[in-house]
Amino acid sequence: MTITAEAANSSSLAANIRAAAVRRFALTDSVFQTLTRLSAALVLVLLGGVAISLVAGAWPALSHFGWAFLVTESWNPVTEKFGALAPIYGTLVTSLIAIVIAVPIGIGIAVFLTELCPRSLRRPIGIAVELLAGIPSIIYGIWGLFVFAPFLQVHLQPFIIKLFHGVPGLSSLFSGPPYGIGLMTSGLILAIMVLPFITSITKDVFDTVPPVLKESAYGIGCTTWEVTRRVVIPYTRVGIMGGVMLGLGRALGETMAVTFVIGNAHRISASLFAPGTTISASIANEFTEADGELYTSSLVALGLILFVITFLILAASRFMLMRIERRAGS
Amino acid sequence: MTQMLSPTSIAASRPVTEEAKLEVRGLNFFYDRTRALKDISLSLPAKSVTAFIGPSGCGKSTLLRVFNRIYELYPKQRAEGEVLLDGRNILDKGQDLNLLRAQVGMVFQKPTPFPMTIYENIAFGIRLYEKLPRSEVDGRVEEALKRAALWTEVKDKLNASGLSLSGGQQQRLCIARTVAVKPEVILLDEPASALDPLSTAKIEELIDELQTDYTIVIVTHNMQQAARVSARTAFMYLGELIEFGDTEEIFTSPHDKRTQDYITGRFG
Amino acid sequence: MAAASSRHNRRKARNTLMMGLSIAAAAIGLAWLALILGALVWKGAAGLSIAVFTEMTPPPGDAGGLLNAIAGSVVMTVIAIAVGTPVGILAGTYMAEYGRFSKLTIVVRFINDILLSAPSIVIGLFIYEIMVRPMGHFSALAGAFALAILVMPVVVRTTEDMLNLVPNALREAGAAIGAPRWIVIRSVAYRAALSGIVTGVLLAIARISGETAPLLFTALNNQFWSSNVNAPMASLPVTIFQFALSPYDEWQQLAWTGALIITFAVLMLSIVARALTARREDR
Repeated sequence: MTITAEAANSSSLAANIRAAAVRRFALTDSVFQTLTRLSAALVLVLLGGVAISLVAGAWPALSHFGWAFLVTESWNPVTEKFGALAPIYGTLVTSLIAIVIAVPIGIGIAVFLTELCPRSLRRPIGIAVELLAGIPSIIYGIWGLFVFAPFLQVHLQPFIIKLFHGVPGLSSLFSGPPYGIGLMTSGLILAIMVLPFITSITKDVFDTVPPVLKESAYGIGCTTWEVTRRVVIPYTRVGIMGGVMLGLGRALGETMAVTFVIGNAHRISASLFAPGTTISASIANEFTEADGELYTSSLVALGLILFVITFLILAASRFMLMRIERRAGS
Repeated sequence: MTQMLSPTSIAASRPVTEEAKLEVRGLNFFYDRTRALKDISLSLPAKSVTAFIGPSGCGKSTLLRVFNRIYELYPKQRAEGEVLLDGRNILDKGQDLNLLRAQVGMVFQKPTPFPMTIYENIAFGIRLYEKLPRSEVDGRVEEALKRAALWTEVKDKLNASGLSLSGGQQQRLCIARTVAVKPEVILLDEPASALDPLSTAKIEELIDELQTDYTIVIVTHNMQQAARVSARTAFMYLGELIEFGDTEEIFTSPHDKRTQDYITGRFG
Repeated sequence: MAAASSRHNRRKARNTLMMGLSIAAAAIGLAWLALILGALVWKGAAGLSIAVFTEMTPPPGDAGGLLNAIAGSVVMTVIAIAVGTPVGILAGTYMAEYGRFSKLTIVVRFINDILLSAPSIVIGLFIYEIMVRPMGHFSALAGAFALAILVMPVVVRTTEDMLNLVPNALREAGAAIGAPRWIVIRSVAYRAALSGIVTGVLLAIARISGETAPLLFTALNNQFWSSNVNAPMASLPVTIFQFALSPYDEWQQLAWTGALIITFAVLMLSIVARALTARREDR
């Protein structure tokens, strides 16, 4: 009897210790859970904060110029007359050039990596492409300014200007003088920069194509190109579009690479070889030197426009990629 | 009542009293809207081995996972009814889950050593609830490893990663880890199904030894195993408890046609 | 028969052409990497000397080094990582653990992926509006916070991904011995996902060490040594930007050398990060 009483005692002691531990656990667990949830919510707060602070900062300019801000080309710090049209134009044109060049090359590399490349080379080349994505944009900028732009100026641009001389439409699109820097050069640099993003996403979505699908196409005698064109690309169209949109989002917001080679001219020229500006390049070049509230506010308003455009593009990209991920998952 | 008896008579009286350690009353279980367990009622005696058998998807693992409420890790799973552990309903809202799981241990189908040393794998659970000096923890680790018949194999490499052990050793490490917390009930969810025959035999031996101190519930798809290790067997089918009784009886003279079909290998 | 065979030949020819183009595309991609790295090494190595690491940035026309810029970059990167990493890991933990099935997680994942690619110059503007403008001056702290906002999404993403790779069986096993959720996360899930989370942090460092745009009007620049985080501070990228666009040969040379240093550091970080996860896959 004494033994069992003792046992009961010691077990009730153990129970007490456990109960204390359990209370401690419950407290720390709820503290930790709250911390993690707050941190997650902070991501949302940050995005909201960015939007609100940009609107607040842009408000003086937006209320002063109204909607005309969006469609005015003039950018004159002396008369304090600001319009966003030239930077918006430059941003869209350079990004468009980048996408037009990078998409076919990116898809080409993805096809090469998934269909043609010897297995032993797949990883090294894939890594090289991703390293390209890791190079800081300022490196592209300095390379573009000192190596690429002079090369274009001396070798490529005069040739192209001569080539299209007299051809209606194209002659004004590619008219001189060859500065080296300008919209075209920026677009090319951006193309190099977004290429890795487009390539790696395209390669990833190509990998989601069920092997049986490809095998059955090969089974009826399709060539590799036909399998790619008729099976792989249609199957992954949404994912490729997502990758393209992601690349576009990157190109639109890219700052340093463009700032070096765009020429920073607030005007819209017919020629792609002419200097121009983009939203991000204008901000980078002028923000610290902007005096006067209206000037600063106009630059913040440019930032707001950029934020809205990239947000929409990136959101669309995420939706598309989510669709393909869900399909790959199910 | 047992408190009135002397220690020797407690031991002697055990088979007679057959006090229920776990008692299930009118248990229903839902995965979202799907009802996976239908009105289960059964009573598991203390310090003995009970086996749950049945074809896959019959609900035997689901039932096991109710006993330590491990299903609560996932949303949209819920249990209704009563599960009494020593007469206390563990499905009560007030039941602390960590405390429950310290009382009702579980070993899984695939060995799940934590990504830490062999020693830490076991000390981790001990230190959760007890603040002990290092020497005492050492003793408890040794005791647990001996209990799981693993001590001689690992005593010279306690600081090696738990992942470096073979599959069978890993599973015994998991048993040691469970025992170290000093639970009252041990749930085994197909503990040998991922192991070779030799390791399986060791695990079964171990189960046989452990039942002197613990109430053991084992889910298995291997009927010979159920016959070898358990005193009682429950046969489940499509979420229902079809038959429950002494293992020998279930395997030699089942009352239900479905039980008979299953144990003679006609389906499953 | 002849028609069929000519059609077959045409198909084959087209296939050869397209495959040739895809090989050409890969060659172009690799060639570009080689061109950029080649130019960088060619131009940057010329100015590489001990002085680069021991002397301050010079006034125009003088010789000097990049010491204050490198130190400034290190200081701001350290602060940014110290601020951004814990928050990022906690947020990723919520998404993969406590909130794995919650709606908040879906929204946060979506927004986080957008932040991951959001223009960094916009983040700079944000910090300018909430820190620089109210405080009335540029500061290294503002620059570090801008970088921290770039760190966070990278760490959130990798933490969530890596925790999601930890088998649920391990969490169940942890819970099954009575360990509360946060101890299971701390002692089991984090440990199992450690190399992946470290990779995420390394990638985040790689990402911010070359960032220029968010520093331009937060940390600004400083030609001199400064250890005051409440004052403008030099950084390698901003110094490169300033020096590269200057008309002075010495400055341009330093810009190239700085670019080489950054690129080397970033590539090393990426390679180490990759090696960490590769080892994980082997296991």
